[in-house]
Amino acid sequence: MTVVRFPAEQLRTRQDSWQMPELQQFIAVSACSIADGKASGWEIGTTEQGDPQVYLIGPAPAYECILCISRMGRRYVIEDGRGQVILEHDSPAMLAEQAIAALRRRKMLVVTQIALAWHALREAFEEKTEAMAEESLEILAHIAPQLAVLV
Amino acid sequence: MPIATAEPEAKQLRKQAGTWLKELRGRAGLSQVDLAQALGLKYYTFISQVENGFGRVPTDSLEGWARALGVDPREFTRELLSYYEPELHRLLFGGKK
Repeated sequence: MTVVRFPAEQLRTRQDSWQMPELQQFIAVSACSIADGKASGWEIGTTEQGDPQVYLIGPAPAYECILCISRMGRRYVIEDGRGQVILEHDSPAMLAEQAIAALRRRKMLVVTQIALAWHALREAFEEKTEAMAEESLEILAHIAPQLAVLV
Repeated sequence: MPIATAEPEAKQLRKQAGTWLKELRGRAGLSQVDLAQALGLKYYTFISQVENGFGRVPTDSLEGWARALGVDPREFTRELLSYYEPELHRLLFGGKK
């Protein structure tokens, strides 16, 4: 298998760290998981290559990462705490489509995580890009009933 | 506030494990990308997750990590157990590393 590398010019197209609006959205979204005890908090970090990561931390006593979102160049990669890639895409809107595909496969555990992560990304992007927000909201309207049935 | 500021023991030990793993990788002359490649991972982000102390090396890939890092799988697992499951390590090995 070939590990995906990102060329320097691609890395330069975006900020190398999380932007405040993105983090504010992660905080807002993770607050729901924290309130119901599924998570205890979140932390940020970077890879050796400087890609920003945000970790959703599980409850006590282990406080292990239950979800990790990385931004590599233009690509978002969402993994669980075992390194399994849940979603990956350049576009939050396309992430939503992958979430729908996962829903169809009925991966219940993953679905909740996907919903959380995708929502965080969508919210973060809405801060910046109105056009994308419209697209995201359209997809949200499509995905919400399916989530409501399963979660 | 959601930011996890406390440093409970489990978290501290996992960070120590991450530091140890990073040292091992450095000694093996591997980048995170190299190690991910050796482990058959698509991205190197999980290596970072583990080395930063937020995730664990999964049990089913302990041997793969050990071999990729050029260390004995049994010793590797024993050492990691002292960080990840210190009580189990104490019961099994009497606190010896």
